[in-house]
Amino acid sequence: MNESPQASSVRYEGATKCYPGAAEPAVDQLTLEVPAGEICVLVGPSGCGKTTAMRMVNRTVEISEGDVLIGGQSVRDRDPAQLRREIGYVIQQIGLFPHRTINENIGAVPQLLGWKKDRIRARSAELLELIGLDPELGDRYPAQLSGGQQQRVGVARALAADPLVMLMDEPFGAIDPISRERLQNEFLRLQAEIRKTVLFVTHDIDEAIKIGDRIAVMREGGRVEQYATPAELLMAPANEFVEDFVGADRALKRLALMRVRDIDLWEAPLAFVGQATAEVRAKLASPAVEVPYPLLVDSERRPLGWLSERDLARDVVPERADSPLGPLLERDDVMRDALADLLQAQSQYAPVVDHRGRIAGVLSVEIISEFLGSPAAKGDEQPATERPHG
Amino acid sequence: MASLSLLAAVGEVGGDFFKERTSDTLPCQAKPNEVFCFDWAKDNIDRFGTPTVQHFELVVISVLLGFALAFALALFAHRQTWLRPPLLAATGVLYTIPSLAFFFLLLPLTGLGKNTAIIALAAYTLQIIYRNTMLGLDNVSGAVKDAAKGMGLTDRQILWRIELPLAIPEIVAGLRIAVVSTVAIATLAVFIGGGGLGTQIYGSGNLTFPTSIFIALAIVMVMALVLDAGLLAVQRLTTPWRRARAS
Repeated sequence: MNESPQASSVRYEGATKCYPGAAEPAVDQLTLEVPAGEICVLVGPSGCGKTTAMRMVNRTVEISEGDVLIGGQSVRDRDPAQLRREIGYVIQQIGLFPHRTINENIGAVPQLLGWKKDRIRARSAELLELIGLDPELGDRYPAQLSGGQQQRVGVARALAADPLVMLMDEPFGAIDPISRERLQNEFLRLQAEIRKTVLFVTHDIDEAIKIGDRIAVMREGGRVEQYATPAELLMAPANEFVEDFVGADRALKRLALMRVRDIDLWEAPLAFVGQATAEVRAKLASPAVEVPYPLLVDSERRPLGWLSERDLARDVVPERADSPLGPLLERDDVMRDALADLLQAQSQYAPVVDHRGRIAGVLSVEIISEFLGSPAAKGDEQPATERPHG
Repeated sequence: MASLSLLAAVGEVGGDFFKERTSDTLPCQAKPNEVFCFDWAKDNIDRFGTPTVQHFELVVISVLLGFALAFALALFAHRQTWLRPPLLAATGVLYTIPSLAFFFLLLPLTGLGKNTAIIALAAYTLQIIYRNTMLGLDNVSGAVKDAAKGMGLTDRQILWRIELPLAIPEIVAGLRIAVVSTVAIATLAVFIGGGGLGTQIYGSGNLTFPTSIFIALAIVMVMALVLDAGLLAVQRLTTPWRRARAS
């Protein structure tokens, strides 16, 4: 299924929902476009109409005015049941059918579409593998699975018929924080493979920033206050409401969007085992060096530890460094986590290695604080970052 | 239990079961304080065969009829929610009518015989089956229905593939109560000529010679237990997911 990723754009055109008897519309003149294959997060406080807006797409909420187009075709022209079979649907309470096995749950939409039994079974096994569950679980009932497993099955069930669009209503909202983090990461990894158009509803701005390619911040009355990428949202909130909603710690949140490789690192003065300490001391004296201690590396340039004054008092660099290495960061680490590691170790700086474990530079608290104080972090410049997923 | 005067009053319409006992009952009648006469039981056990079959028929037909009607009403009220209060009230009123009174109220309409008994007995099952079916349908989690709808099941598919299978435990629980109580109430069918095991209970000589009552009651109880167990087995077989729990 990965050879031909299937997804359609979703376009709201002045979509409005008025409930009978309500003074104000639940969703007011919503206009936005979600490009095919992207994740759009609808985020906002409760009662802002985000779920209503999402449900317009599969017509579980009927549109009062305006329209929603999937791949250019109006959902209003479609038979609701037929339409829904082409749209994946994941909800917070999961809603697996308790009387159906996992395979039957995953096969529910394919069955409606008239797939043959063999094909449904094969598809179910394929999806269980994709979401990281043992295909043998397919014959169990939902009550026999953990909450996290059930939520994964909920996602697999929504993907079963290779939908054009996925609707996800706070899918990880009822999961404990640790499992939620893991499910988010798994989902992003999955999305990198399947490239669906996803409308994702949450009230959690951190989740929105982590999950979304684009974020629509909504407020009471069903109005979109800002529709932007996570970086734009953090750097340049459109108004006070968005600024408040994004939170005072948005500079820190920016770090969650970056990886260590996105920032200019310090160069570490390297010392090789057996090298003359005089050479190392000369290197340290250079004004370009910002780290006061040399880093002991092996012949593959893999860090071993920090050399102390006492180590440098010898003639040659010893095999073991006096000071332990402390935290070791990787270029692919998320900046926020890297900062947390530094703070946790009460360390001013830490070596950064590439995926082979070879030294790439040194990250320091100073680099991060300079970055946060720089115009780039405040939004006067384009962010130079690629979005970290997972 | 019916009073003597009532027994006398219905004696004429009750058919031939008030006949005097034949001489084969003599051995124990000679000993008036005997509670259970095995000799008589041994000699007369075959006279319980036909009443047992009749009784079984009364119960099964009444409950099936009551189920069909109550189930249809429940499905109707499931969509048309405004129908719920009146239907609950109507079936409730039927349920409160004393059984014998109900039989005699029906007499002018449907006359003597099995059909009258079946109508009354079926009417008694309506309330319990209707209520339990509604309960079962209402108990289906909103999330499951929401997911089903969002996945593209039609209302009819949601009802038959999701809601009703999940309501089986409550529906069967209602049927079990209905069956057991109908087995008991059906003993009164005798008073309108409906036959059944009541013929062996309300005989005139039984007040001084209760052996026949004991045998009939034993059959009634066994029938109730067997039908109840049968329904329980049906429920177990149709709801395998209920026994599946996290390992």
